[in-house]
Amino acid sequence: MAAAGPMALRRVGAAAAARGRGTLLTRGILTRAAPPRHRGPLPRTPWTTRGPPPEELARAVERRPVREQVELDAVTYAGRQHFVPGLARPRFPPWDRGWHDPWHSPGPRYEDMPLYKERGCYVCHQRVRMLEGVRQAQWLTKTKLVEGLPPSVLSIVDDSAHRLEDYEERVKCAISHARLWDTTEVAPRREHYCPVLFEDLLHICRLMSMKYPSLAKRMLARNYKISATWERESTLLQVRGLNGILMNSMAPIPPVASKEEILATEEHVLETFYPISPTIDLQEVNVYKELNDTGFRDGYPYSHPHTLFFLESANIRPNRFRPEQLRAKMLMFAFGNALAKAKVLYGNDPKVLEQPVVVQSIGTDGQLFQFMVFQLNTTDLVSSDGIKNLVWIDSDQNLYEKAQCIPEVKKRVVTKPAGIYGFQPDTFKKFLALYLHGTV
Amino acid sequence: MRRSSAALREERGAIERRASRKAPPLSVPAALSRGGACRLEGWLVHVVPSGQSGVPGGEGCPSAVSLLCKMAASGRRRLLSHGRCWFSQTESAAPPQSPDSLYPPIVASATAKSKAAKRRRLEYFNQRVHAAASIEEKLRLYGQLQRPKYMLYPQTFALNADRWYRSFTKTVFVPGLPPRAVSAAAKAPGAVAPEAAKTPEGAAGVAPEAAKAPAPGTAAPGAAKTPGLAAGAAPYLDMGELRSLACDALLQESFYQNKKRPYLYRDQDHTPGPFLTQLVSTLAAFLCGRNPLLAASSLDLKPEVNYYWHHGEEVVVHGHRKGRVDPVRFQIDDHPHLQIRVPKQLPEIVPLESDLGDVPVIDHKPSKLPLFKKQYENKVFIGSKVADPCCYGHTQFHLIPDKLKRERFVRANLEDQIEVLYRANGIASLFAWTAAQAMYQGFWNEADVTHPFVSQAVVTDGKYFAFFCYQLNTLALTVETIQNNPRKNICWGTDSKPLYDVVEDGSVKGFNDEVLLQLVRFLLNRPKEL
Repeated sequence: MAAAGPMALRRVGAAAAARGRGTLLTRGILTRAAPPRHRGPLPRTPWTTRGPPPEELARAVERRPVREQVELDAVTYAGRQHFVPGLARPRFPPWDRGWHDPWHSPGPRYEDMPLYKERGCYVCHQRVRMLEGVRQAQWLTKTKLVEGLPPSVLSIVDDSAHRLEDYEERVKCAISHARLWDTTEVAPRREHYCPVLFEDLLHICRLMSMKYPSLAKRMLARNYKISATWERESTLLQVRGLNGILMNSMAPIPPVASKEEILATEEHVLETFYPISPTIDLQEVNVYKELNDTGFRDGYPYSHPHTLFFLESANIRPNRFRPEQLRAKMLMFAFGNALAKAKVLYGNDPKVLEQPVVVQSIGTDGQLFQFMVFQLNTTDLVSSDGIKNLVWIDSDQNLYEKAQCIPEVKKRVVTKPAGIYGFQPDTFKKFLALYLHGTV
Repeated sequence: MRRSSAALREERGAIERRASRKAPPLSVPAALSRGGACRLEGWLVHVVPSGQSGVPGGEGCPSAVSLLCKMAASGRRRLLSHGRCWFSQTESAAPPQSPDSLYPPIVASATAKSKAAKRRRLEYFNQRVHAAASIEEKLRLYGQLQRPKYMLYPQTFALNADRWYRSFTKTVFVPGLPPRAVSAAAKAPGAVAPEAAKTPEGAAGVAPEAAKAPAPGTAAPGAAKTPGLAAGAAPYLDMGELRSLACDALLQESFYQNKKRPYLYRDQDHTPGPFLTQLVSTLAAFLCGRNPLLAASSLDLKPEVNYYWHHGEEVVVHGHRKGRVDPVRFQIDDHPHLQIRVPKQLPEIVPLESDLGDVPVIDHKPSKLPLFKKQYENKVFIGSKVADPCCYGHTQFHLIPDKLKRERFVRANLEDQIEVLYRANGIASLFAWTAAQAMYQGFWNEADVTHPFVSQAVVTDGKYFAFFCYQLNTLALTVETIQNNPRKNICWGTDSKPLYDVVEDGSVKGFNDEVLLQLVRFLLNRPKEL
């Protein structure tokens, strides 16, 4: 080590090797030798017992740049063209190629882009996980929350004329198909079984169209993009991008809440969560276009958004949205769809809608279901008082408790044979009721 | 290590003496006979609910258990001590002898390097598969031995691949679709005479046959598909409604939805794929009132279909097994875009022993096609496991990928190969699907099918549609079983026809009703009793 200087590069492992391979850990990273560290208890000096003197503290708080703290005429070894111990380290100006190479250019700056605006806009896209969840989404969309599904949907669930009990066997088959039978491996992964379960349930719902012919007037759209812009107490907000699978219908859903309920929302006060700002976790952009687009061109026959489906099918748990975050995302995108449709129907001026726009939303991760019905009553969202929008949420409905792919064996005895455990038919009834809502 | 026959006899005698001895006091847990769970040294006992009296082992369980206990307890001379665990069991497979005979039956050796020994091993394997307890066990034994095998791709660029595939699967190709069975009572009087006018009568739409131009090979115009049509009570198929459904799906995917440009070489994921999914799901929902089979069906998106079989013989070319005569092994791993599975089978089109043509014989090795060999798991799969109640196939939908689209064939001056591609796809995919369905019912090449398995397929590239119908009459394609087997599999198919000419400005130009009608007829196909 005598030959190597303090500024020379050396491998960390050399120190370990010098120590005689005491450790198994060899890290091949290059470091510079740090000044020798004092590894014992601190020496008891007035500085360590009483703290540094005030002028030292003041200097630390000052935050002068390092180059000012070092003397200005510090002599560097730049002229010497090689390292010299004792001289300062020079800082060179960044190298300029002299010509524009498209493969190595940093790109245009935000300030030079044509859509640059001084005022920032907060964008909610499909990867946004809101800290405060549904409360934050409520504040941003000026919505009042009602627990449970609305009475018009519950009446479809309870109505025995629909004979929803006949479908229990089919639903169990669908769950077994998705969770147990659909793969050549032993057990399918969530990325595989979540969409399969959703498709199977939707297939069962679609087969109801033999009883209700107007159900045929529905169309699914995958990979569509929504854009909606609104202002909320001096912050500009946008909902953008791909979100989920949208089911469109030719006829809109009739309004769910009565006029009295809508007028009663005037007294409701939106929750704030000071000191957290309501725009936390939203992406702030300065380059944007204020766009309102439903995702489809004019003249589309199935012009009314009916239900939005969200599938949380990531295999790894941290990549999936938690139920609270999923509900917030469902609320934001249902609102975005309703707002874009309302602006197409009634124009861009903020006003209270005589015919509220209703959009439903269902989110699932293959087992838990979240149901939501959103009614847009007003597009006047700048102030926090006045008529508010309404949302009904039914959260955390389990379709089944457990799906056992291989039988559980304890001490060579089969304790739990393979199959689906804890099936709850009510969840599917609500799914079907939300599907039938608007035509029945 | 060879054991002399005397030692064998002595051991067998010892076993018989042990078996005839009185059972030692071994407490068989009483709970077992009642169906509870119990532990037994070295053996797994399943929880049998007491309600199931149909379980065969229920009553015989205690005695079998006690015998097993004795065998486990004795420990000293195990039957299976040699590591050749089939050794003792072949004795039980030998022909039964009279109880007073001291000599074992004289059979060929099972381990020698002789043809008789190979035959005996093959026989033993066949018996094991026949005697397998469940279908999963049978499939596992069938595909247990892994060796290099030819991978058959249904969607292939190979020239004249459909001829090669027909020879591998012993299939006869009949151009055109089979004539539909005329349902006697339902033959509506107006259906036979071609009605030019499409005026709907009252509330009902027009009969579908009116719009049908003679499709090639279809002899009779075919009766109306809807049941109970005699009195005209049930509504006719409304062509206008169906056409609007199809056009709406097409327009949404290609015109109304704002989409980005398609990715490079991924054109089929941009428009034709979503259009096909949308079309089939809406049509199936619309037609399920008329076809109760569709109401009980299961729709799979991008499922997997696999089949493994032997056909013909070859000599191993290189390696440590060089010079041996091996069966030629094939494997199909197919990924249709969409498939419909149903719980009841489609009816047979022609009787089991019909002969509608010739199977081409190709004298070259399959590797000349080109086909390549690989060794991996031998899978047999219809799209879901054996436990699924929807174990029969109805219709498959295949999407032609971008690298096999028509423009490429035209640019390479291979226009005649376009139809070959569709036919090869239809034959290979449907053979794999129907054969896998037959294996799920317990048939295999030693136990041939007793009734034909029928499935349908539609091969499309978004605009051009080709329809195929397949009847599987035989699974026996190996060298031993094909010798006295007169049956052939039959595939009917059409050429590819366009569904529409072009989509522009929010409207579909040149929509072809016959193609849609054929698709609807495929979806409405069902067994006669429904």
